[in-house]
Amino acid sequence: MIRLTVNGEAVELDCDPDKPLLWALREDLALTGTKYGCGIAQCRACTVHVDGRAMPSCQLPVARVAGSSITTIEGLGETALHPVQQAWISANVPQCGYCQPGMIMATAALLARNPSPSDADIDNAIGNLCRCGTYPRVRAAIHAAAALATPPA
Amino acid sequence: MSAGLDRRGFLRGTLAAGGALAFDLTIPLRAGAGEPALDVHHWIVIHPDDHVTVRIPQSEIGQGATTALMQLIAEELDLDLALTDWTFYDPQTNVSQGNVYVHTSTLASWGVKMLFEPMRLAGAQIRALLLASAATQLDASAADLVIDAHRVRDPGTGNSVGFGTLAARAAAAPLPDAASVRLKAPQAWRYIGRALDRNDVPAKVTGEARYGIDVQLPGMKYAAVRQAPVFGGRLRGFDAAAVRELPGVRAVVRIDAGPSGYTVPPTLWDVIDWQMDDAVAVVADSWWQAERAIEALPIEWDDGPHAGVDSAGIARELAAALDAPGEIVRSEGDAAAALAAATRVIEAEYHYPFLEHAPMEPMNCTALVEGRRVEAWAPTQYGDEALRIAAYAAGAALKDARFHLTLAGGGFGRRLHNDYVSQAVQIARQVPGVPVKLIVSREESLRRSYYPPPLAARLRAGLDGDGALTAWQSHVVQGTAVEQPYGFTRLAYPVPHVEMRYGQIDTPPGFAWMRGVGHTQMAWMNHGFLSEIAHASGVDTLTFQLALLDESRVDPARADQGDAVARVRRYRRLLEAVAAQAGAPPEGIGRGRGHAVYDMSYVPGYRNSCIAIALDVTLDGHGGLRVDDVTATVDCGTVVNPQLVEQQIQGGILFGLSNALYGKITLREGRVEQSNFHDYRLLRLAEAPAIAVHVMPSDAPPTGIGEGAVPVVIGALVDAIHAAGGPRIRALPVMDHELALRADA
Repeated sequence: MIRLTVNGEAVELDCDPDKPLLWALREDLALTGTKYGCGIAQCRACTVHVDGRAMPSCQLPVARVAGSSITTIEGLGETALHPVQQAWISANVPQCGYCQPGMIMATAALLARNPSPSDADIDNAIGNLCRCGTYPRVRAAIHAAAALATPPA
Repeated sequence: MSAGLDRRGFLRGTLAAGGALAFDLTIPLRAGAGEPALDVHHWIVIHPDDHVTVRIPQSEIGQGATTALMQLIAEELDLDLALTDWTFYDPQTNVSQGNVYVHTSTLASWGVKMLFEPMRLAGAQIRALLLASAATQLDASAADLVIDAHRVRDPGTGNSVGFGTLAARAAAAPLPDAASVRLKAPQAWRYIGRALDRNDVPAKVTGEARYGIDVQLPGMKYAAVRQAPVFGGRLRGFDAAAVRELPGVRAVVRIDAGPSGYTVPPTLWDVIDWQMDDAVAVVADSWWQAERAIEALPIEWDDGPHAGVDSAGIARELAAALDAPGEIVRSEGDAAAALAAATRVIEAEYHYPFLEHAPMEPMNCTALVEGRRVEAWAPTQYGDEALRIAAYAAGAALKDARFHLTLAGGGFGRRLHNDYVSQAVQIARQVPGVPVKLIVSREESLRRSYYPPPLAARLRAGLDGDGALTAWQSHVVQGTAVEQPYGFTRLAYPVPHVEMRYGQIDTPPGFAWMRGVGHTQMAWMNHGFLSEIAHASGVDTLTFQLALLDESRVDPARADQGDAVARVRRYRRLLEAVAAQAGAPPEGIGRGRGHAVYDMSYVPGYRNSCIAIALDVTLDGHGGLRVDDVTATVDCGTVVNPQLVEQQIQGGILFGLSNALYGKITLREGRVEQSNFHDYRLLRLAEAPAIAVHVMPSDAPPTGIGEGAVPVVIGALVDAIHAAGGPRIRALPVMDHELALRADA
């Protein structure tokens, strides 16, 4: 039995300790917002927060995150939409939307440590793949989210 | 088909959880006073509380169909969007009731174009029914009634009645004749033309959106699959005992070769299908377990006749085919004589590789076979065909099949094939009563896909003593395909002497259309070659294009003279506009701007969008390339939703750039060499240029917007690379080239 915290709730996973966190979230906890895209940590559609850090979950064995606190897209906005989600809605960022939970989780982690990132900071932090071509709107929405989360002084 | 192992224990454990055919993920349930929601002539469902659910007769692959098509029917029905939601159409209804949804395959940028009239008409017809029903209830004249917040109101008395109350009568009455209703004048539109927010966005940012891969059914098991690694290979056998004891494994089953479920609407083309090869699947409690087990499963394949095929051999065959005469597909004047008389002849060969669509959601399908019935859920671009292939693979009558569209994580043409539906149903048939979700791994999705074919072109042009273009001769050959690469014969620039020849070779993978279709393969080549001709005649590409785009150069004797003149005018108008909108060109070493314009015209008179692009690149002189800015000017007829148009143009530009810069699928020993995103690179955010989109006002009917940017942006890119002092790019992908600056730059 592997114990961890997922979206603020204590959970016990009765699965193979080698099972990647992605599949434990999707299959054992029915949290399907976190997406499978490549399985080799290239596309980052499976990005979640592990103790506040954005990490791809497709190659991360659940045993490695025992005792950790995991946040998925379902738990990002605790009671209301997270500023990143609000900015995403305002900018109509998603097209097919499949990569967007990963994009949003990566962005939320970026803004948590860098509240007003430059374009270069965004380039370095957001390596998530999108095939529909949402990148220009992703960039605009990150800047908008930064402004939302940081009230003018 | 036969199961690879005895499943009795498995079935005993899972049958209790089966029998879930009543599941319908697509019908939203609303609270009502115990009354049923009523389906009103297929297009809408009216709920007892007056809410309306609109049925969307297209797949949602990212293009915003659920928003744009909603705007069409809502316009004529005066729907209140706060009281309206949507669901996908039911393929069984469409197939069994004579294509009542008019156009359900999601391809060719046709969603809005094909449904602009039918969905507005349906809205107007249903509106007439509701008003007639209300007129009886309110003892008023239908002509005096207005619709407000899903209630029909008599402004004279203030009395009103809700849609929910009117639904039963409206559903039972026949639709009024189309000729008896009048559509709103564009001046009266309240939804069409507005940049409404996408109605699928909130669910897509909270993780609530359900894609095919997210379907969950009680008692569901998971399957992983391996198709013959060589195209056309056959399954000899497998050793199920080697994986039977692995954790979670429930069954190992064989999947038979057969049709991939690609039949496009038979009213448009002859029935076309492509082979899906033999495969093996493992069913397990978890997909991760299933994938691990199939990785460990000893499988013996007969690689068949294509075991020795590789990309170098295909290149040699294409070269040989270019030396053969080919078939003349367009001829005007006497190109050979004009070339012989030319002061200067320019020649070049261009090449285009196999590509793969790589939508972010891998192929998947969930299926349940019970008794004679089959039910399946999948992201697909053609639900009708998915239904047919599900019935076929289950050995079921069509009437005993149900198919549910889900959101799709991209499509780009890949999901016009429904091979994964056949695979999932064949697996489910061997574990009856158990829902099975097949997820095709990224590696398997990339290696056992269907691919737009490789292509080679030999182009020759003649200039006279004044530097005027007098002759254009092209010979194009490509791998297995159902179509000529349209872009090559539909050259719009008027040239007096034209000869175009075509040839085809057999390549083992099945053919696929991909966003931009055959236009993408050729339009950039024609444009790159035009840029070469311009350079040879001593002017920049834009100046040369504008000089060529002179309607007086169109031969008045041409059968398609009217079309040819219209295209020349349109190209010129858009090129001039984009050149102005892009502003001052970039300056400095290694910087350059390219311009291209294209209209994806299939045949004379075909209505499609025309897009002009100006694109700026910087070459760092050490092999690095950056696309800095892209300006797109678009004529797409009436715009239903400007922000969806902008998204599709942005998306098409980035799809084209990603493929042009990095895309290449190669074969070795009959197998695809690439396997995942580390060796099949996609463009990343850091590489994406700023994109400005300008839409020209137009009151012509909509012409479609999903694909048009893809072919034209590649032409602008190769032009820009040369303008920046880089090499002529005559083969894709660009990043295979040394991007050193030319000595003459």
